[in-house]
Amino acid sequence: MRISESLRTGAFEIFHHKVRSFLTFFSIAIGVVSIMYSLTMIYSMNFRTKKALDILGHGRIKIGQRGYSQTSTSMEKKEVNDRITLEDAQALRANFPELPLVSPIMVNGVTFSHGYFRHWVSVAGITTEWKKRGWIYKVKGRFINQYDLDNYDRVCLLIQDGGWFKKPQWMKYYDWMDGFQKYIKHHDLLNKTVQVGDNLYTVVGILESPPLEKNPKTFLDLEGWESKVLIPITTFHRLMGGGANVEINIDTGKASTVEFYKSGLNKALQSRHSGQLRLEVKGFGDIIKTKMADKRRDMYTVLIIGAIAILAGGIGIMNVTLATIYSRIKEIGIRRAIGATRGDIMAQFLIEAMLLGFFGGLAGILMSMTGIQYLASKGDTDMMMVQWWMPLVAVLAAVFTGFLAALYPAYQASRLDPIEALRYE
Amino acid sequence: MIKCVNLRKTYPLKKLQGYPALKGLDLSIEAGEFVAVTGPSGCGKSTLLNILGFLDDPSGGNYFFKGRDAGSFSDPERSSMRLSEVGFIFQSFNLLPRFSALDNVRLPMLYKGVGSGGKAEQNPLELSGGERQRVGIARALANSPALLLADEPTGNLDSRNGLEIISLLKELNAGGLTVVMVTHDQGLAKMASRIIKMKDGVIESR
Repeated sequence: MRISESLRTGAFEIFHHKVRSFLTFFSIAIGVVSIMYSLTMIYSMNFRTKKALDILGHGRIKIGQRGYSQTSTSMEKKEVNDRITLEDAQALRANFPELPLVSPIMVNGVTFSHGYFRHWVSVAGITTEWKKRGWIYKVKGRFINQYDLDNYDRVCLLIQDGGWFKKPQWMKYYDWMDGFQKYIKHHDLLNKTVQVGDNLYTVVGILESPPLEKNPKTFLDLEGWESKVLIPITTFHRLMGGGANVEINIDTGKASTVEFYKSGLNKALQSRHSGQLRLEVKGFGDIIKTKMADKRRDMYTVLIIGAIAILAGGIGIMNVTLATIYSRIKEIGIRRAIGATRGDIMAQFLIEAMLLGFFGGLAGILMSMTGIQYLASKGDTDMMMVQWWMPLVAVLAAVFTGFLAALYPAYQASRLDPIEALRYE
Repeated sequence: MIKCVNLRKTYPLKKLQGYPALKGLDLSIEAGEFVAVTGPSGCGKSTLLNILGFLDDPSGGNYFFKGRDAGSFSDPERSSMRLSEVGFIFQSFNLLPRFSALDNVRLPMLYKGVGSGGKAEQNPLELSGGERQRVGIARALANSPALLLADEPTGNLDSRNGLEIISLLKELNAGGLTVVMVTHDQGLAKMASRIIKMKDGVIESR
């Protein structure tokens, strides 16, 4: 039997049982809405992760100290006293000369003052390797050099935010600037003296952040990137480093070597501290994934709800198909008598059920597109990443559910004895 | 065209041994014959017709159709025989009520993949009994079968319409179609070229 005829018969059946069909459409539609929502969330999450890693490089590792607050036993508290030091970073550099980046950093919050202007800022102590991180591209003045580091020089760099090249449509961006950014934009502080914390520093350079398209910060908020004042790490250690931890940024060059270096770096550091260091050696990919954990949990919840709704829809379709078959036993007998094969009968009911799934899916797409438009208009950036293939996948899922749900009833229908079916009243 | 040798059919019954509907029946029908099968209720007429029409399997014996042993046919082969070699006419017409008359006639064509787009809007429920049976006959002839099987084709019709239907069958037979008709009506049976009387699952006279 031609598919067009089966489709016609199926549409005919659906139209003639409006309430039954509507209820089935409804449950399938709810499933499709959930699928659309979670697909959009998954896509948005993966897009952000990939974009962030593309810009950062896939081989990045962060070595940090697990803090006092994360300890529970007295042994652990004792271990916290053993800290990652600047010497550790230098040792890692010496032990792993092949690494493209070994950049220790210390961060602290202090007051920045210039004239009457005062602002609380985050200050980072860095080495010359910091600039290899790759996302600061414009330097006015000069960068911190080895001479500054060796002599504990009181020099600093200020970071000025970059704007958008072209603001992407899907991203809602609040174009605000904090007081510090406003001040350094309107006052040329290059070669001026400013007060950072308790000491005076000379501004030797202004760094302009890359446009936000190329700034991982846009896609992901990773801690430690927000420092807007940079000073030599040796100076930091001497003047304001009392309680600050050293964090080491590593680049292994490529994703495949991350795991190898993670264990190597961990061993090298622990051997310098008799295994007493409470370390965290993490790939940036892992860090991003941890950051995304909440979102992922939401996503799975929605996905499970969607699966349950679609399952309920599937059971609905199975029920409808069974009812249809019972009410059409005689028709099955007639069709068999005039030459329909078992396959023909099975195909007929499968196509009808898939049509139910298809129409339910279409209804779901209409509902979800409306919902997504609404959420996007309210500034939900995830919802703006809806792609053309998502409705397609959702409808296919609905059609496939119809197919699966009707397999058993359709098989039963095809096994009916033609004579028994013909006698059925 | 048709040759039955020692054909048996036993319907399984719970606890009992089974009900023998056909008890070793021998029959042969040549191409172009118009055969009427008569007999009392429960003598196995319909069972015989179902076996001849590949709707049912015999429990024993052999059924040769055009020289081929039908016992060896698989289910798809039997479907294909029903589709292209046999046309069925039923007592209760067995038309699909939700389809138009034309769609009912087209149904066998659809399974052969030769559907056409035309529409005759009339629903079978709006037709008279005689008209319905004509639709049934048209459907049976749709795929130009070699054998036409009619199970009490006039059972639900008044005598005038009944006579018309039998005349139609005779015309078709005159055109070369082999017709096997099951009927209670001795008068109508006499219009066939041969009458086979059945009793208790065997042929009483031929």
